[in-house]
Amino acid sequence: MIKVDGLTKVYRVPKKAPGVWGSIRALVRRAYDEVRAVDEVSFHISPGERVGFLGPNGAGKTTTLKMLSGLLVPTAGAADVAGHKPWARDTAFLRQVTLVMGQKMQLLWDLPPRETFELNRALFDLDRAEYRRTLDDLVALLELGPLLDRPVRNLSLGERMKCELAAALLHRPAVLFLDEPTIGLDVRMQVAVRQFIEEWNEKSGATVLLTSHYMADIAALCPRVIVIASGKLVYDGPLADLVLRHAPDRRVVVATLRPLTAEELAGAAPFTQDDGRLSALVPTAEVKAAVDRALRTFPVRDLTIEEPPLEEVIARLFAREQELEQERKRGVVVAGRAAAGGSGSGNRGSGDGSGDGSGSGNGNGERPSA
Amino acid sequence: MSALRHAVRAWPTLLRIGVAEMVAYRAEIFIWFLTATMPLIMMLVWDRVAAGGPVGRFDQPGFARYFVATLVVRQLTSSWLVWEMNEQIRSGSLSPALLKPMHPLVLPAAENIAALPFRAAMLLPLVAVIWLWRPEMRWGVAAADLPLLVVAVFLAWLLNYLTQVCFAALAFWLQQSSGLFMVWFGVWVLLSGYAFPLELMPPALLAAVRWLPFRAMLGVPVEIASGLSSGLGALAAVALQLVWCAAVGLLARAMWRAGVRRYEAYGA
Amino acid sequence: MSRLRQIWRALGAGTRVAVMIALQYRASFVGEAAMALLWIFWMVVPLFVVFRYTASGIDGWTYDEALLVVGCFITLQGILEAFIDPNLRAVVEHVRQGTLDFVLLKPIDAQILVSVQRTAPTKIPHMLAGVGLLVVASARLAHPPGPAQVLLAVLLLLAGAAILHSLWTLVVSTSFWFVRVDNLSYLLGSVLDAGRWPVGFFQGAVRFVLTFILPVGLMTTWPALALRGLISPAAALGALGLAAAFALVARAVWTFALRHYSSASS
Repeated sequence: MIKVDGLTKVYRVPKKAPGVWGSIRALVRRAYDEVRAVDEVSFHISPGERVGFLGPNGAGKTTTLKMLSGLLVPTAGAADVAGHKPWARDTAFLRQVTLVMGQKMQLLWDLPPRETFELNRALFDLDRAEYRRTLDDLVALLELGPLLDRPVRNLSLGERMKCELAAALLHRPAVLFLDEPTIGLDVRMQVAVRQFIEEWNEKSGATVLLTSHYMADIAALCPRVIVIASGKLVYDGPLADLVLRHAPDRRVVVATLRPLTAEELAGAAPFTQDDGRLSALVPTAEVKAAVDRALRTFPVRDLTIEEPPLEEVIARLFAREQELEQERKRGVVVAGRAAAGGSGSGNRGSGDGSGDGSGSGNGNGERPSA
Repeated sequence: MSALRHAVRAWPTLLRIGVAEMVAYRAEIFIWFLTATMPLIMMLVWDRVAAGGPVGRFDQPGFARYFVATLVVRQLTSSWLVWEMNEQIRSGSLSPALLKPMHPLVLPAAENIAALPFRAAMLLPLVAVIWLWRPEMRWGVAAADLPLLVVAVFLAWLLNYLTQVCFAALAFWLQQSSGLFMVWFGVWVLLSGYAFPLELMPPALLAAVRWLPFRAMLGVPVEIASGLSSGLGALAAVALQLVWCAAVGLLARAMWRAGVRRYEAYGA
Repeated sequence: MSRLRQIWRALGAGTRVAVMIALQYRASFVGEAAMALLWIFWMVVPLFVVFRYTASGIDGWTYDEALLVVGCFITLQGILEAFIDPNLRAVVEHVRQGTLDFVLLKPIDAQILVSVQRTAPTKIPHMLAGVGLLVVASARLAHPPGPAQVLLAVLLLLAGAAILHSLWTLVVSTSFWFVRVDNLSYLLGSVLDAGRWPVGFFQGAVRFVLTFILPVGLMTTWPALALRGLISPAAALGALGLAAAFALVARAVWTFALRHYSSASS
């Protein structure tokens, strides 16, 4: 349904020295920086798939979505969405896709959502009966009934997003591009939007490509994720593998019937005691041994195995990518590290990349797109 | 061709939404309406000048007739696309419009046309007051010229809209083109017949100004509506409007396409 | 005193930011500068055309004397667009987006703060163009004004600017009740437009309105009369009194409006 091959977007960004004087100089002559926002990204998505699109701020997610929905023309590379070249924006293509941006609205601000729906019916030239059916479906799924006739400006952010989704789906597009559809919403509304996207995908069989800052969205919706950092594709595969690969450790936590004595503790490594709780960070392969040992040697009341939070996994991945990127720029290629970044095998990875401050800075400077 | 059929099918809905928006923004539109008071002031000034005797072809009721026509035609032909597009391009809200299977300039045109009759209707009380003040002011259009007047008003609106498309397209490069448009508007006020009937200009200047687009955007229908121009002369003036519409239309098309190409290259 | 310094600093910071923004939008900047020159031309041409058809002048004004009124008009318009109008737009936008709350939480009087936060430096050439026209037109008079007349004219122009500011405050106050009235500034500009003609050109109700209700006639005609040496100190005092009255009314309405202000949805 979506085929992307070597997609690349290079922006020219005007350089400006800070302050008033910099502004005046820029008035006379502008200097430009080249920014590779998206760098030879390739992937395939089959019909009906739900794919999460991850990356730190400025990684090129929105730029990619804009190219795939036809708003931006790439500098190089090819893409095929529902059998069309997106940036030709021909009518047949536009009828098959939709783009929802969490931070931008297409709803008519001072009119009730119903008017925007009507407008889209006219703009997409939808058959009235079919439009009615789709709208009824959407109203039922999103519980829009009471919202239809109130001016959009009087709706809450979450209500607006629900209407925005409805407006974007009236023409029953085969491909949904969702850019941060849950941004700024409260948890209850996030869950509602998430559930709706899942139901709609299952009902209509539409393909979904979704970006989100909330890992809960990705975890709930997307069996497969594509990760880009600094414009480059760094991971494409099942979410579960990503977690396994980049967070190969599990935390085994044991609650004991009584506090352990000092000498019991001395022989308990790798378990340590903290607030009356015993815990140990162990590689996934050694979890079974650690659990066996705990059950044998400690007065166990309760035992749990925790996965690190997804956010942490992703942050670790991004940090490592950034580090690699910097090394690449310095021209130093450390074979072992590169292999570790690619496969993750053998690298325990616990905190070796996340703590050195490379953090989430995007290093790309200013970007003309929001 | 199917695109055209699609536009025709959609048009009633677009107009209806234009009316709904107009109702939602009635306060704003009323204010816009109030800003077009310049002909009124000019009418009072010229009335004072004509108190001492007719000025050219204009006596006091003649000026009243001319400026009433100016007020009405201005309300029926004005457009605000430049401001709207500046805002949409700046904020990136043009993007959703580009993803619709219809040209993004069709909806603003429908919204524009939907609001015009209401703007003109707001003039009725004002026209009544002017008529009470100068009862000798008469409606001076021959029945034969009426269809021509309708065409002239429509072409004046179209030319205004197309001009604004050109200035709106500049916003793709300049982020803000409304400042530049105001420069153009300043010239327009003087050379369109808005501030004074063009025939009162020094004759040497008039010879050139007659052929510029400004007169085609306002003066032509106003001259027909106030009885200054009729028959063959009016027909020639409408032909001039057509020529300008075609020329500016081609320019607008080229500029808009180039602008969208730039938008596609740089994003919003 | 520290309060004054606060206001001064707010004004300075606002100007700095405005200059940088203006330079970013460079085509508009060039356009505005060209506009300032065109402005004089634009204002003078109708006057020129009108005076082609009257040999004896209108209501005691000759062409050169009427140029003084146009000069006052352009000066005041420049002040409006450089110092008053940008603030008007900002407040209307604050109300629309519900961000006025942040302004109200600042430890400065809200009316003062919203009046000095923004300036549009690109419009200052407009103001200077008006002053230039006033100098040229004064020099062309049969009896050029002396220092006393000039001083009185400046005083009256300042009173005019104060009245403009009050009118602006009144208009802004209505934005607490009506949604989306961004075009109020255009309204204010077009109301001022009648002021480019000597108020004596108008008669009856129109003249009354332009003198007392929306005293644009007074704002532009009286300084011109002062330059011609035709205004008495008593009348000048009256004009200052009117300015003070407008300021008091504007203050009262603003306070009332703030009490009724409720944030826009979320």
